[in-house]
Amino acid sequence: MGPRANGLWIIVLTLLLAYLLAIVPFPDWAMHYRPQWVAMVLIYWIMALPYRVGIGAAWFAGFFMDILEGSLLGLNALSFALIAYITLSLHQRLRMFSALQQSGMILALVGLHMTITYWIKVATEQTDAGSLLFLLGALSSAFVWPWLFLVLRQLRRGFNVR
Amino acid sequence: MSQEYRLLVLVALSLGVMFADSRFDYLDRVRYTVAYLSTPVYWVADIPARASSWIDDVFVSQRDLIEENAQLRQELLFAQRELQLLAGLASENSRLRELQEASQAVQGRVMTAEIINVSNDPGSRRVLINRGAHNGVFEGQAILDAHGLMGQVVEVLPFTSWVLLITDSRHGTPVQVNRNGERAIARGSRGDAPGLELEYVPDTADIVVGDLLVSSGLGQRYPKDYPVAEVTSVYHDPGQPFALIRARPLAQMDRTRHVMLVVPDDEIIGAGVEVLPGFPLPAADPETETLTGTGVPPATDLPAAETDATQPDDTDTPPDAQGDL
Repeated sequence: MGPRANGLWIIVLTLLLAYLLAIVPFPDWAMHYRPQWVAMVLIYWIMALPYRVGIGAAWFAGFFMDILEGSLLGLNALSFALIAYITLSLHQRLRMFSALQQSGMILALVGLHMTITYWIKVATEQTDAGSLLFLLGALSSAFVWPWLFLVLRQLRRGFNVR
Repeated sequence: MSQEYRLLVLVALSLGVMFADSRFDYLDRVRYTVAYLSTPVYWVADIPARASSWIDDVFVSQRDLIEENAQLRQELLFAQRELQLLAGLASENSRLRELQEASQAVQGRVMTAEIINVSNDPGSRRVLINRGAHNGVFEGQAILDAHGLMGQVVEVLPFTSWVLLITDSRHGTPVQVNRNGERAIARGSRGDAPGLELEYVPDTADIVVGDLLVSSGLGQRYPKDYPVAEVTSVYHDPGQPFALIRARPLAQMDRTRHVMLVVPDDEIIGAGVEVLPGFPLPAADPETETLTGTGVPPATDLPAAETDATQPDDTDTPPDAQGDL
């Protein structure tokens, strides 16, 4: 199903850039504000090309993230597969949303992703169980989403990614 | 409908992978292999830091260099003077040890490394160094900087390794007070401020603010007598069975880029250390191997709230091992 594949390297490239941004060192005070770049880029491509990027791709993207972060294998894979499923079932509504509404959805989706990974990390004692500060990352993600969306849409149209 | 099935299968797969990764080591091979792909990402992410240090090196005025040179000469002079004193002390020390027939202190060689990344999880304190299995790094290897003990290697990848810092709340460092040899376990404190807390120290223990804590060598993970931390506050709560003691790590965790990996010298260990019968060397110790997986002594594995009731002396090695590396 869907049109013939074209420009898939753009998807890979944007994901690689997202991985880079996910691990670039931040000062201690800004750690909690780091947007979840990989999750957002995935959500965009699922929303724009649901016939190309799906739950399986999200799972592998999460698996690579686990190895990159050195966290428990399968942790990000699980949560990316879940948010990919939600995005996939909502993608037609997401496309109709205004920028503000989309940001609201990003807040919810990234918040869910961070909560799932946080729970599993606390349960397996990989991180300190502390405050809800970790959700600040969802807030900053929602804040940068409109700009990220514009950039990615421009890339998709310019390179005719299908 | 097929999406639901796919999701179900992948969720089950992730749960299986997570279980296998946390309980067994089948997946270490996968992790190690995929790390060949992830290492370039870290290499690229490190470019800004390397570029800025390169710029610092290249665009520096001659006057600054001369000043720095003079300062370094002076520091070298002081260091050499202290080294001379040290040589005298060392020979005196070994004579005293001979008199007591005690085992000899082991000094390993070091390998330099650079910190190239920091864990992006604010709740854990781990750093990535640019030395891996191809450089001979092994799990459990101790990391130092110029000022003190930093942590230990917990995961070895082909060209990089993850280091758990001693300020991580899941890490316990066996320490002793330099002044009087009082022993304790220093655990990383929770929360945003990096620091250490001494666990299960009785109120009567002679530890005061300003005391230097050095590694005790118990646990056989860290070399003995390296500076670890300085006590910053001692608080006796009458309602608590143990004193609340906080310490500041001496290693510059968040400023330094250059670190050292301790390479234990097998020959020295084989020749100089008195091996007690039934007590194998660190490298061959199966118990040390299992410790490596979690990075913390098993007794301190529980959350702090639950371990309050355990006995104060939770070091996992017999006291006979004190003199070894």
